[in-house]
This record gives sequence, C-alpha cells and structure tokens, in this order.
Amino acid sequence: MKPFEFFSPATLPEAARALADYQGEARALAGGTDLLIRMKRRQWTPRAVVSLNRLAGLNEIALNGELKLGARATLNQIIRSAAIREYFPALAHTARGMAGVQVRSLATVGGNLCNAAPSADMAPPLIALNARAVIVGVDGERVVPLDEFFVGPGKSVLQPGEILQTLLVPRPKENAFASYHKLEHRAAMDIAMVGVGVSLNVERSTFNVQHCADVRIVLGAVAPTPWRAKRAEEILRGNELTAERIAEAARVAAAEAKPIDDVRSSAWYRREMVEVLTRRQLQRLAETA
Amino acid sequence: MSDFSVIGKRVPKLDALDKATGRAQYGHDLDLPGTLVGKILYANVPHARIVNIDTSRAEKVRGVKAVLTGKHSGAHKFGYGGDNTPLKGDKVRCRRDEIAAVAAMDDDAADEALELIRVEYEELPPLFSAEAALAPGAPLVHQDRADNLFLRYNYAHGDAERAFDEADEIIEQEFFLPYVTHAAMETSFALAAFDLQNRLTLWSTTQIPFLLQRDLSEALGIPGRDIRVIQPVIGGAFGRGLDVYPFEPICALLAKYSGKPVRIAFTREEEFFATAARQPAHVKMRSAAKRDGTLWAREAHALLDAGAYISWGAVTPLVMMETVASLYRVPHAKFVADVVYTNNIPTGAMRGYGNPQSTFFVETQMDILAEKLGMDPVEFRLRNANVPNSETPQGLKITSCGLRECITEVAERIGWERRAGPNSETRLANTTPPQETLQIQTRNPKIKRGIGIACTLNVGGGARIYRSDGCGATVKVDDFGRVTLISGSTEIGQGSETALAQIVAETLGVRVDDVTVINSDTSVKPWDVGTHASRTTFIAGNAAWIAANEVREKILDHAAQMLNVPANQLEMRDRQVRVRGDGKGVAFDKVVRAMHYREDGIVVSGTGWYDPPTKLVDKHTYKGNISAAYGFGAQAVEVEVDTETGQVRVLKIVAAHDVGRAINPMYVEGQIEGGAQMGVGYALTEELQVREGRVLNPTLLDYRMPTALDMPPIESVIVETADPAGPFGAKGVGEMGGNPTAAAIANAVYNAIGIRLNHLPMTGERVLRALQEKERSAAQA
Repeated sequence: MKPFEFFSPATLPEAARALADYQGEARALAGGTDLLIRMKRRQWTPRAVVSLNRLAGLNEIALNGELKLGARATLNQIIRSAAIREYFPALAHTARGMAGVQVRSLATVGGNLCNAAPSADMAPPLIALNARAVIVGVDGERVVPLDEFFVGPGKSVLQPGEILQTLLVPRPKENAFASYHKLEHRAAMDIAMVGVGVSLNVERSTFNVQHCADVRIVLGAVAPTPWRAKRAEEILRGNELTAERIAEAARVAAAEAKPIDDVRSSAWYRREMVEVLTRRQLQRLAETA
Repeated sequence: MSDFSVIGKRVPKLDALDKATGRAQYGHDLDLPGTLVGKILYANVPHARIVNIDTSRAEKVRGVKAVLTGKHSGAHKFGYGGDNTPLKGDKVRCRRDEIAAVAAMDDDAADEALELIRVEYEELPPLFSAEAALAPGAPLVHQDRADNLFLRYNYAHGDAERAFDEADEIIEQEFFLPYVTHAAMETSFALAAFDLQNRLTLWSTTQIPFLLQRDLSEALGIPGRDIRVIQPVIGGAFGRGLDVYPFEPICALLAKYSGKPVRIAFTREEEFFATAARQPAHVKMRSAAKRDGTLWAREAHALLDAGAYISWGAVTPLVMMETVASLYRVPHAKFVADVVYTNNIPTGAMRGYGNPQSTFFVETQMDILAEKLGMDPVEFRLRNANVPNSETPQGLKITSCGLRECITEVAERIGWERRAGPNSETRLANTTPPQETLQIQTRNPKIKRGIGIACTLNVGGGARIYRSDGCGATVKVDDFGRVTLISGSTEIGQGSETALAQIVAETLGVRVDDVTVINSDTSVKPWDVGTHASRTTFIAGNAAWIAANEVREKILDHAAQMLNVPANQLEMRDRQVRVRGDGKGVAFDKVVRAMHYREDGIVVSGTGWYDPPTKLVDKHTYKGNISAAYGFGAQAVEVEVDTETGQVRVLKIVAAHDVGRAINPMYVEGQIEGGAQMGVGYALTEELQVREGRVLNPTLLDYRMPTALDMPPIESVIVETADPAGPFGAKGVGEMGGNPTAAAIANAVYNAIGIRLNHLPMTGERVLRALQEKERSAAQA
C-alpha cells in the first residue's frame, strides 16, 4: 500500500472539505471492502483517505413517509431491518445475495453505489423502486434521482468533495411489487453476470383483468451503468398484463441492453439472460399481485 | 477383525483443536528476528530476449537489502525437465518468468523497489497452444532442443488397429479440458535462513521435503547435506507442492545475498499464476464394443500443453493411460500423449494426476457406447468391470477390487430405476422436492432432471514414479507411556498424522492421543518420496506398522519375563500388556520403565522401512505393476438443468469407494467429499482462463470453486475389501473422490437434456449454446 494521509472527521461539512481539498485524489472510506483491496493491489493510490465512520446518522435506516436509508448502512443492517423486510423485501433479498456474511457486515449500500460498478447489485432494485440520492458537498445539499446518479463504469455524478448521504425511497403503493435477481456462476460469493431489477404496479379492472399501472425494468452488468429498459417498460405501461406482452417486453429489454464480453460472461449470453430474467420476474410479480 | 480398538474409529484429528482455534502455526505465521520480505518481479511478456535489466533505482529504495537478477542465480538448472533456473538471465519463456527479486524491510519498500526495476525486452513470436508449438517451423521455447515436443508417450496392448475392424459399434469424440488449479487455502510459502556454517534451512509448504532438498541442491549449487527442510503446518496443497518452484531457490538466494532470513509468501494472485495448474488437454478418442456388450478396443490421443517448463505434471499421461487401459477389461488399447512446450504458464501436478481428465473422457465414452449398444450404462459397466485377483494387459496386478460393489451401491442409492432411458419420451420426473435457490424458478417445466454414473480406478498402494516409493518410520516409547512416531511422510491437511497414529496405537494397545507424530523436519525424519499418489496411509502406514511391531515384540518379550508366561499368550490393549483370556497383566508404561531402568537396559524403539513390491514402468512399453494395490470407486449423481439459462445444478451425489479398510471412516468421507467438491468445480464452474499466456482470473472471486451453497448432499459409501498388502487392509483414497465426478455429472446432463458437451467446464453459457444449436438443427431437419 502506498502511504496516504488519513482523516476521520466528525461532521459532514468537515468530511466534504477534506475530500474537496485533495481535488479528486482523496477517497472516502466506509466499509472498505473494495477500497482497501484496491489500495493493497496499488490499483488505487489516493493521497488521502477520509473515513466516514465517525459521521453520526449516516448508517440510520428509518421509515416515515418514505424510507431514509443512510448511505453507510451495511448490507447486514439492510437484511435485518424490520421496515425493509416488510415494505422493501427486494432490497433485503438483494443484500442477502451479495458477497458473504463477513463482508456483508462491513460493506455499505453507499459504497456499492458510489463505486459505480455496472454490476452493483443494489442499483437496479433501488432504481426500480424510484430511489433518490441525497448528496452533500461543501456548498450544501442536492437531490438526484438514482436513475441519473451513474455516469459510466466507476463514475457517478459525485464531484470531489461530495458525499452520498442518504437514499430516499418512496413507500410502494398497495399493489406494487419489486424484485431483483441476478445470474451468477455459483450460488454465493459471485458477481452478477446479469442482474435485473423490476418493480410492477398492478391494477385490476372490473373483470379482474390485470393492468400494468406502472413498471420499471433496470438492468445490471449489461451496460456501462445500471440501465433502464425504457422501451420494454412502455410496452407494458398502461396495458393489460398478458404472457405474450410480458414475453415481448423481455425481448425488447434484451435488445436494449449493451453488454460486453469479459471474464465472467459473453455479451451474447448476457443478452439472452436479460430476456430470461426479465420475463421470469415480470411473470412472478404478476402472479403475486 | 471387529475387535479393533482404534482402527475404523472416527477419531478426531490430533490437530483439530489447534486448527479450529487458530493456534496452528502455518508458514505464514512464522517469523525469525530480522526476517526480510522477499518479492518477485515477473516478466509479463510471453516470449522475449532480455536485453537489459536496470536495478539501480530499486537498490536505492530505503529498506531494500538485496536486489537480484539472473546474474546472481547462476546457470544451475533444476526441475523435472532440467530446464528451469531461479531467475532468468537471457530469455523469457512465459509471462510468469521470474526476472528479478528483492528483499526489503517491509512490503511497501519491496513493492516500491519492484516498480523501479526497468527491463528491456526484445519480444519473440509467442506460442499459445500445443498445436501451434508443434507446427513445422515454430519458434523454439528452449533453444537447446530440436523441437517443442518434450515427450511422446506411446502405449499399446492388443492390436487396436485391427480390433476396430472387428468391432460392432465404434464411437469417436473429441474432448477439451481446461486449466484448473489447486487454490489451496494457504498460499505458497518459503522462509530461508543460513546459519554461520552456511547451511540453509528452508521452511516450506512443500509435499516432497527430501526431493526438495535435492532440487534446491541442484538449483543453488550447494550440497544436499547442507540443506534442511522444515514443514510448518501446511494449509492444503493438492499436488501443488510436488515440484520445486523458482521462488524457493530465489528465497534462499535473497537470504544469502542479504545475510538475513527472508520470507516469500505468495499473494492470492501469485498463487493462481505462479504455481502450476493442471494442464489443459485436447483429446481425440474412439472406443469400440462387441454387440454382446464386451468392451473391445480403445484408442486415445492426448495433446497436453505443459507450458514453458516441465514439471512432474509431465508424468500425468502415465496415470491417464491406466484409466484408458485398465479401468475396465479391454483387450485392445492404444494411448498416445504428446507433452508440449509452449509460452503458456507452466503446469504441474494436481490431485488425481491425470485421472480426472482421463476418467472424464473414458467414462463419457462408456455411456455413449452403452447407448449405442442399447444397454443400460450400469449393466455395461458391470459387465466389463475388473475383478479381484487379476492382471490387466498393462501389467497392473489387481488384488482386492470392489468395483462391482461400488457400482451396485451407487445405482441402488441414487434410485437408478427412476432414470429415463435414451429413447424415453418422458424424462426423469421431478420426484425429489424442489429446493429453494437464489436462482429464479424451481417448479418450472423448463427445468429438466437427469441421472448419471461414472467409475474410477486409482493407485491405492503407492505409485512408483521415482526410483524409491519408500518411507521410513521410527517408533519410540518414553517412561510414561508416551509413544512417538517419527515418520518420513508429510501432512498437508489430509489427516495422515492421525491415521498413522491410529495404526501405531492399535499395534501397541494404547490410545490415539498417547501417540505424538513427528514428521516435519528432514534433519529428524527418515526418507520418504513425498505426499502424492494417495500413498501416505498405505506406504507410511506400513512403515509405521513395521516399526510399531518391532516395539511390540520387544515389549511383549520383556512382559513375558515379568509375568512369567510365553509372549504369544499376551495381548496389548487399554495401555496394558495382558494375558489373553485372563485378568493378569502389567501396565504398558511399567514394562517400558522396567526395560529402561536396569543394567542391560535397551532403548524401547523400533524402525520400519516399507517400499512396495512394485516396478517402475518399462521405459518403452509403459507396462508394469506401478502400485501394490488399486482403489476403485463409482459415483452417481442427479442433476437439474435449467434449459433457459443452461445452468446445471447438482442435486445429489452418491459416492462409493473401495478403500480396502477405512482406518478412520471420517477422513475417508472427508477425502471423498472434498474430492467430489473439486470434481463439481471441474465439471461446472472452475477454469483458470489463460489467454495469450496471461491468467485473466487470478482471484477467488473469478476462479469459481463451488461454495457450500453449491454443493449437494453427498452420500459416501465405504466399501471395504481388506487389501492383503495394506496396513490393516487399507488402500489409498486421497485422490479418488474427485476422479469420476465430472464424468458422472456430464452423463447426468446428457440424461436430462440429451446433449454431450465434452468440453469442461459445462457453464450455463456452453449448455445454452448447445441447446440452441440442437434446436436449430432439429428445426432444419
């Protein structure tokens, strides 16, 4: 590991100032499960590391009108939160499918998002659930839809000196359901070849026919950023939910993906799997509704 | 034979508490005062001439005590092929070639120094496949050789050419096997220190301490008697430690030039690219049978990419040909294997030593042949299985043999009758309850089930691949009845220490925890060729048994005088020497004291030496009885294939293995389960991805061994045939468990979806592509 300055500020403004002072050559430390490994491998050689671990409130999970999910909440906290389990089971399920139990007790939701890996598991379900990111910087606070948070592989809208503070997630409507599934080579300790997050709001008409009031389909690991399959959503939105229409939407989602070949999978397989995972989840959510 | 007091008992490992509580001292835990960190600079170009190495800036880094290059390592060649040097001076033959090394006060200084070394290369055209390396006019990997073919193995019995004309059914396939690697939990380690007499002590994760002594002597140009090898607790090896690696002599050189002890502990990345993976193979094979179900002929040609240097891994065709020629009775067989130099990573020995590869292609073809003949695969195997007390045309003398029992056991326990035949309209019904998974669907008609079987033959009584297959042992007893076994053998986590202690304890009538095993220091322990070929329980067990028996006879003789009865009326049990059928006796330790505390007292000790009655195979025909006993096994598996994702899940494995006698059933099961886990990885998820000589996935994240969640329940069935040559009838089991698993899974996948992949690993992507191709060709037809 290369030598670096270490800061452990007690307030958000101090933390933002410390990060800003290094003009992009500082890294924020939360769980450290990505950061420290990359620093040990000398992939990242920041001049300074700013720990967020003394900042009060950053790891809180609270449900009032909407869910306030502190960016430093660990994956294990998400799994154990009664509010999340009851109202946002897809988030608890997603967290449970990540890494192993020891890593989950350190790794944070904010770290997962801020690393901006195209395969970040927390991104698709949170985007599907219409989450917003509260960002604090030296000049104050701004709120960005999570949908617009990612810029490219490893890049988010965060500017030097900005810290992801909280995620705001609206409480789902009565007939809304969400899920996230990923395709892995093995049942644990793996990174998604493909991840698909879906939220579906179903209405029943007088003849008990299911209509799609709203839908979000978010693809992971198949584009430079987590990717909304908006054309696929349009096929469903406002329409009757039939098996044929779901299959069509899944096909379109696959066409919308922009996958690449890498050590985990080929682009061809990723595209095929977007279709399968999208179709299966839409079907299952429609059955649940 | 049921009155054993220790043999056959589920005794916990002697070191279980130390390991479970983290007290065990692995190499990585060792430290001597003033120890420096050693690190290596790898070439990272596949094939090049080294024009210049500039280490001047590295030498100036604070805390750096030595910077070495090829000019420090001399021209001493070492390794099985005699083709390697510690640091390379003139030429790079693969990306992981060791170019320079530094010793420094800490990791950061060492890393910094490595970054400051400048190497100028003149790149040469690289060879990234065995095929390319054999092409006429291909550049030479080693300039002193005429071509890149290191060795051709050419084995034959019967008349394979003619036999194919006489056969009724002939099949032919090609098989592709990937690089896989041991991924032992503890990464490779060396700590080197010279004393004031210039004698070297090397603490090492080796499996072959005495051969390492010799190898280091060659590599360093110092006498073997001035080298002492100590093995700390070793956290797994699986064949990795069967060869000397450049980092070991490099560690010694760094210690020599810095004048300080130096440790080199591999990072996980180094463990993946700088040890020796199982070599990839491309195999063309045909098999033939008579209409009545007699296996008739077999012919295989294997092309093995050895990489840039030749290790003991080059000998694996000897094992491959055993499976080809002797797993079943086959009157005509031919096996040709070409071991080829390339500019890929050097390969080596890994658990099974060629057997998982050959079992995959042999057992796949057994299934295909059975289907061609219209026979049940179980029936076809039973019909051609080996039998006890027979000799194969290859010269293997099979004594005990429980292959048929193994086949019958697994077929019955997996519910073979549920298996759908090849022409059946309905595939296997989903009769077992679906399991909740992280994947999406469980009750989905797109998910198909299948059952498959595969068998294995493995050496179980040592394997003479070196002049000696021997092991020495000494047993001594102290005044308080503590028994010490000094064994030449090596413990790498497999539990051999405890198995050997059980053999000694049974012989002397003491408790297992009365026995201390010393087995980690070449200056203390007698010769042993190393831990490989599933040989330790059999060979070191026999040596320990012989040594313990010498002690037993001495004690019985003396006790006979003390009790005034003939020695043959005495038994040793419960720490007592007793008159059989009588209560009269004397405590074990009291006899020992009586033997020590007198004028003509003697040392209560015994020595044993066991080298099995086997032969090196003939240099030209490769025939001969390589092992004193053979282990057999069969595994049956049930799988589920998701036809939309292509992913295969193993639902159950039943594994029956003939181990002669289980000295400790718990470790036998451990070996079977661990082997099967490696087999599941080989079948489905593990591949060291090597492209243009570079390892693309040198991490535990992307080199995917099955996790606990991926593993199905494994039902281990121990078949005991009491081998006449084994200690208490035992045969080796260390490698067998992983040999047939991939083949059984492939056969089950075929049973589920009617597709043969012949290309490992069977990833979801490969299966899905094959399914789509099948659909397309069905649509065209």
